[in-house]
Amino acid sequence: MAAGASLWGTLTAPLIRQNPVTLQILGICSALAVTTSLDTALTMAISLTVVVVLAAGIVSLIRRHIPTSIRLIVQIIIIGSLVVVIDQCLKAWFFELSQRLSVFVSLIATNCIVLGRTESFARTNPPLPSMVDALGNGLGYGLVLVVIGACRELFGTGKLLGVQILPLAEQGGWFTPLSLMLLAPSAFFLLGALVWAMRSLWPEQADDPDFPPHETGEERP
Amino acid sequence: MNDLAALFLQAMFVENMPLTYFLGLCTFLALSRRPDTAFGLGVAVILVMGVTVPLNQLIYSAVLAPGAWRWAGLPEVDLSYLSLLTFIGVVAGCVQLLEMVLDRYLPKVQAAFGAFLPLLTIHCAIIGGSLFMVERRYDFTQAAVYGLGSGAGFALAVVMLGAVRARLAYADLPAGLRGLGAAFLITGMMSLGFSSFAQMVAP
Amino acid sequence: MADLNPFSLWRRFLNTPNDNRAKTLAVAFLVSAACALLVTAATVLLRPIQAENRAAEQQARLEALIAAVPGISELIAASGGEALSTVVVDLDRGAAATGITPETLAAALAEQGNWTALAPADDIAGIGNRPDYAQIYLLRSGEAVSLAILPVVGSGYNGRIQALLALDGDMRRLAGIAITEQMETPGLGARIEEPLWQQSFAGKQLFDESGATRFAVARGPGRGEFEVDGITGATRTSNAVTNMVRFWVGPKGYGPLMAAIRRGEF
Repeated sequence: MAAGASLWGTLTAPLIRQNPVTLQILGICSALAVTTSLDTALTMAISLTVVVVLAAGIVSLIRRHIPTSIRLIVQIIIIGSLVVVIDQCLKAWFFELSQRLSVFVSLIATNCIVLGRTESFARTNPPLPSMVDALGNGLGYGLVLVVIGACRELFGTGKLLGVQILPLAEQGGWFTPLSLMLLAPSAFFLLGALVWAMRSLWPEQADDPDFPPHETGEERP
Repeated sequence: MNDLAALFLQAMFVENMPLTYFLGLCTFLALSRRPDTAFGLGVAVILVMGVTVPLNQLIYSAVLAPGAWRWAGLPEVDLSYLSLLTFIGVVAGCVQLLEMVLDRYLPKVQAAFGAFLPLLTIHCAIIGGSLFMVERRYDFTQAAVYGLGSGAGFALAVVMLGAVRARLAYADLPAGLRGLGAAFLITGMMSLGFSSFAQMVAP
Repeated sequence: MADLNPFSLWRRFLNTPNDNRAKTLAVAFLVSAACALLVTAATVLLRPIQAENRAAEQQARLEALIAAVPGISELIAASGGEALSTVVVDLDRGAAATGITPETLAAALAEQGNWTALAPADDIAGIGNRPDYAQIYLLRSGEAVSLAILPVVGSGYNGRIQALLALDGDMRRLAGIAITEQMETPGLGARIEEPLWQQSFAGKQLFDESGATRFAVARGPGRGEFEVDGITGATRTSNAVTNMVRFWVGPKGYGPLMAAIRRGEF
């Protein structure tokens, strides 16, 4: 079952150890804008996962016949078309959600994760591992989005997925919502805190210091 | 004239691409370690956005918008679903053309900023600018002003972040916060600061 | 003739080295064609479902919101429990639009020609351009119109504000307002969505004896019959609401329509 074990490894690596957002700084753009509530975050995560898995599968299927000079454009066309199809599907069956997501579903086409996976993995690997790798990266991205979306919605409005969890003070409870959570800066703070937590728990992910400070008192004569 | 100035200021400060809409963050964070690379990126973004947003507006209103083919007797044709792919193509083509033009006529500029242009081929902020232009139904002059303003806003934000991070390189940060973590927190504070500009532009 | 066999032709094509110029062009063309087909098929197949869903959702939302305008249900019950009638109106003429129904309104408004650009002096609400047609709701008691519900839009502090404005049959007094969409600051401007504040609109006069528009959202408590209490800390949003109401009851908004209703043409 070596193949199975390595597939499992491919799937789970991007969840924590090689998380595309927190380690590789990919795909953040559209990540933060849609995390004001959990349902938009989930929709975005699922859309991106679907696009990246399908794109990886298609690129991998035709990988032997993509001329090097046009490889980026071919990948971009495939990804862009998939995004348009997903956008149309969302407008057809989840109209209200697609209104709230506005242009960010279209911006999945520019998401570094998707092009990054097709360029670096799917182009040189068979379809099944490519799709598993894509799924793993999509899930890693989704994990970050769901954590931040849940925090922002819970502390910003007391609700999760529209269900009131923390009773609001205005309605007789004890919770006064933190309005900052609904504004843009909070997403940055939360993501920064998440990155800090992950790099403290898994120190191998941390960056090396650019200019290590001198130790005083030991080297001087 | 007044509204165009207001639109420019709005695009640059109030609706700042990286700080309010979280667009363009990949390059924003990756290239802001030092002010000079940040400045190069900023200028490249202004150039590309200033060219592509009005160009995309022309293409959208002439070809893709619903009812654009009325002059040919086809008023129901609605090609707006192709706008994403068209914009990506236009931006990629523009970047390529810009590179060639700079190389031929302004080689010094090419030497200074040319390395950043390929990164902008599929850049969230640049495509996002065109998509917002469609959503808000800007006309040609508004699109041009909006493109330049958004680019200028991106440039401002990235240079400021570059300056701060250059200083931070000498700081003794906790290991987990070094690099990306600190960059996020600083960006968050900048974003908070920029939201004070929301009072600035009167409608 | 075996060379023209499509399968062997295809296999030969696949075996050509990738750098071959002909192959590059062929691959580019095939990929573009396949993607264009995929995208167009998806759009064309889904368009009817999208239009249906969109129309159904909009109608349901509008009807729920009309019911939410404070006091409307009492008014409807008082007038004998009749349902609201709806009609698409032509704003410039102040009459029912010819040839446009509520179902075809969305398509009509997708055309740029059905929007009027507003000169800055006229554009009090800051919306840039104004649709030439709108779907309004009328409540009648007997022949006369006792209530009109008009969709309005304005430019708020953070984005568009959309609302339903309810006017009494005399077209001079507000019956209520329901904010349907806003992006204002939570806890400050966003309080325009609170039912209590919206209820304070009922009974306020729009115009004075000379016909000048006097309605306003005040800074601080509202004084007199023309003013509604302002929201503390949300001056810009309050001003946006004032400007929105003033624009839409004015000559570039529903003014012609309101005059027509007053003359009894509806």
